[in-house]
Amino acid sequence: MISLSGIHKRFSDGEEDHVVLDALDLQVREGEFVAVVGASGSGKSTLLYVVGGLDGDFSGEAKVAGQDLRALDPQGRAAFRNTAVGFVFQSFNLLPALPAVENVMLPGLFVPRGRRAAPLHELRKNALAALSQVGLAEKAARLPAHLSGGERQRVAIARALLSRPALLLADEPTGNLDAKSGESVIALFVELVSRGMTVLVVTHEERLSTRAGRVLHLEGGRLR
Amino acid sequence: MRTRALVHLASLNLRSDRRGALVNAGAACVGAAALVFFVALGLGVGQAARRMFASDARLLEVVPAAVSLGGALGGGLLDDSAVERLRSLPGVAGAYRRLSLRVPVASSRPPEGVKVNWPPGFTVQLPVVGVDPDLLQGDVARGRRFEDPPPGRPIPVLASRRLLEVYNKTIAPAWNLRRLPPGFDLVGLEFPVRVGFSIIPLKTEDKVYDANLVLVGLSDRVPLYSLAVPLATVRRLHAEYGKADPGYTGVTLEARRPDDVPSLAEAVRRMGFGVDEGDRALGERVGLAVAVTAGALALLALLMTGLAALAIAQSLSASVRGRTREIAILEALGATAADVRSLVLAEAGLVGLSGGLLGVGMAFGLSLLADRVGLRYLPDFPFRPETFFAFPPWLFALGVAVSTGAALVGALAPAALAARVDPARSVS
Repeated sequence: MISLSGIHKRFSDGEEDHVVLDALDLQVREGEFVAVVGASGSGKSTLLYVVGGLDGDFSGEAKVAGQDLRALDPQGRAAFRNTAVGFVFQSFNLLPALPAVENVMLPGLFVPRGRRAAPLHELRKNALAALSQVGLAEKAARLPAHLSGGERQRVAIARALLSRPALLLADEPTGNLDAKSGESVIALFVELVSRGMTVLVVTHEERLSTRAGRVLHLEGGRLR
Repeated sequence: MRTRALVHLASLNLRSDRRGALVNAGAACVGAAALVFFVALGLGVGQAARRMFASDARLLEVVPAAVSLGGALGGGLLDDSAVERLRSLPGVAGAYRRLSLRVPVASSRPPEGVKVNWPPGFTVQLPVVGVDPDLLQGDVARGRRFEDPPPGRPIPVLASRRLLEVYNKTIAPAWNLRRLPPGFDLVGLEFPVRVGFSIIPLKTEDKVYDANLVLVGLSDRVPLYSLAVPLATVRRLHAEYGKADPGYTGVTLEARRPDDVPSLAEAVRRMGFGVDEGDRALGERVGLAVAVTAGALALLALLMTGLAALAIAQSLSASVRGRTREIAILEALGATAADVRSLVLAEAGLVGLSGGLLGVGMAFGLSLLADRVGLRYLPDFPFRPETFFAFPPWLFALGVAVSTGAALVGALAPAALAARVDPARSVS
């Protein structure tokens, strides 16, 4: 599912260059639940953004869900993000002005050319089904501000699942949640993996990493 | 991104920022309202001016030159040979002679069958001009004839189409005469007149006799304060009273196309004759004044629309900067830079469209109000229109299009700014 080889990623803060990923290699098979742990600032999120096609400014070889990310132009990467991967962020990243169901519908509004775009009523139906899958069907009309942290994260997961991607990428998904809510999110990931989805999580939380099938440590820009 | 999805998301975004959307729509609305209002006013007043100074754009009035070297240069007298030369000018479809009657004609009694509160002893001197019948044939009422009548029969006349309006609004109030009802059919009215009689005693001829004039039609080709009779009638009366006919008072040239008139006027002047601009020139001057004023106001309105575009640009730029993270989230979910650009433009387009629709409605409402105020406070004058505004369908479309266009232009820079958001940097 994921094949990274010799990934280099650096950025400059204006005074000096910082190496974030240094000849990094990563192989993840389909249906695997992999956790990447590391200290704050170790490059975990950067790795996730490279894998998810959010960051195209790197060198090395990256094949994810059958796509050579280096060969994709910005439009191709956008299409890849829309169809091949689902993102879950630490701070949920829901649009505050939209009700839960509208937030879940969002990926369906950006269907790339050449693919069938569902009409809005069908999209809403699919979004409600996704919300139902994470146990939030009855709160579909609520704004994010009127949901608990755990509920917001489950809405974010429902949104990530809308396009039925093969790969779920989660960036500190339990970082802002209390123990109970975090546990429900972890249980959801486990359930998704049991259904054949590949999940790559970056975290520094042990409660999450211990539930993963494989744990990798990111240190000095490389995985161990 | 599909259009329906784009409109859906743009509407959701606008709903989430109602205040900003309302302010921007308000700016667009004011620009559109001002533009539509002033253009409608210009069109309406222009139409009223054309009714007031109705003239045929293909006609040119040729008169003898005020100062002339006479026939030496081919100009001066408007005799039959001059008429033939005028008729042979390129672009001339017809040349029609006019000859003012030099025998005085006056009326001391009202038309038969019409009670107009005629004051005792009141006498009206009637200016009469003889005209080639072909010029007015199209305006002669069905069943009537415009030709010199046999002795004893009423003389057919045509009056200006504007005469009833001018009579009702100016002459009747000034002389305390009864006004004629709207739609009153003047054709067929007979006016008892005294031929040879003048209100200036020294100008009264030795021979004075009673006759009748009968109105056979109304025409815009007849001067406002004259009555037109057949040219042959004027010749007959001149012969009867021993008046010489050295030349015609004027010749009306009919051009093949309105565009030919300026070159024809130039050719006529070169021949040594004058061109009487008369009502047409006045109408053109009024029309020009209206067009210039309306144009200046429309320009001002366009400037307001431009300012609205700037306000929208500034407001949207601030909005985009404040939504950087939201834009990055959309990109993380699959939006391309083009989608983001389209989204900002769609938001601006919806704001401009709703502002434009509101503005057009506001302009229409203001015009109704202005008309009511105008009708209430302006004095009654000839050809005063029921409305000072004209709203052709294209004007509504123009208002909405300009408003939407201004909003879209204002959104170009913010849209470009939004499209440059780097999702990897801004999403977390």
